[in-house]
Amino acid sequence: MRFQDAARDGRAVVYAGIQADPLVRRVAALLAEASSAQRVLARAVMNGETTDVTGWLAMFPTLFGPSVPAGPERTRSDAILAGSLEIAQRGEQVRSQFRGAIVEELTAILLARRTGDAAIRRERRILFDGVRAEIHPYDVTVERDGATEAYDCKWGARGINDDVLHQLDDARSHAADEEEVLRVALVVFDAERSCDVRLARQYAPHDGTAIVPLESLDRLAEVAP
Amino acid sequence: MSPATVAAAIDRVLSAYAELTELGEEIEDEWSYVNDLSSAWRERFEVVAVSAGVAGIDPAADAAIDRAIDEIARITDPHRAIDWLSTFPQVALLALGETA
Repeated sequence: MRFQDAARDGRAVVYAGIQADPLVRRVAALLAEASSAQRVLARAVMNGETTDVTGWLAMFPTLFGPSVPAGPERTRSDAILAGSLEIAQRGEQVRSQFRGAIVEELTAILLARRTGDAAIRRERRILFDGVRAEIHPYDVTVERDGATEAYDCKWGARGINDDVLHQLDDARSHAADEEEVLRVALVVFDAERSCDVRLARQYAPHDGTAIVPLESLDRLAEVAP
Repeated sequence: MSPATVAAAIDRVLSAYAELTELGEEIEDEWSYVNDLSSAWRERFEVVAVSAGVAGIDPAADAAIDRAIDEIARITDPHRAIDWLSTFPQVALLALGETA
């Protein structure tokens, strides 16, 4: 089993520009510190129809209501709202790309807390002897001797599909064929309940694939999937 | 005028959610998923409603529910509706002080 940078085609170059946008890093860093409620706020605003600040403030009284004291939590909620609105104000296609890049960056930040920055790589293919290489790269990988991990990331539960599940399970099983352990997971910035509903409709094997929903994101920083 | 209750707020949530579900159903390939998703979240709200009984609702939470309903009422794109079939319940439950 070996890892390789993904081919830099036109789409990848454009997407790399989005991944490198400081707004992606800023919002992902905020979400890495956030509570589940603050992550739901980000999801709603970045999915939202309106960019009216007062409306969003009213929609989340547990984050912005008068009983919420001034302090780091309130400051973070304000910053998440502001950053999410910056993304929501972009066109639909652009904000869709930003949302995906944010989930990937958030995943990388959380994983690095457990593994260190040096082990974290992005957009990597995984190659196996005698197996035709998949073109599609994995969003985030952890590359360490004897402790490798591969992650794909989705903004919403609807992104769970047979293709991505096959891709992750194939990598895991090919690694096992080479007597290597490759842990695989799908990170989904959506509620576990929605992920469960979506997953139940998929035919691809996924018993060996961990699903990491919005409520459990902090687990990435604690244990391998 | 009777006092606002959690149960009444959930009634409004479920009514709005039914309309959102209808919009999402326009994506034929996702019809089953849309209905499974809708059923799963409805069940969660029904549990919360039973648990709350006739309990009153905090005015800020009641207003938050209305604001969330306004937000989904603006949606015209069925793909966006499917996104919100998951997002809206999370927002509404949070307003009610409940977990997803």
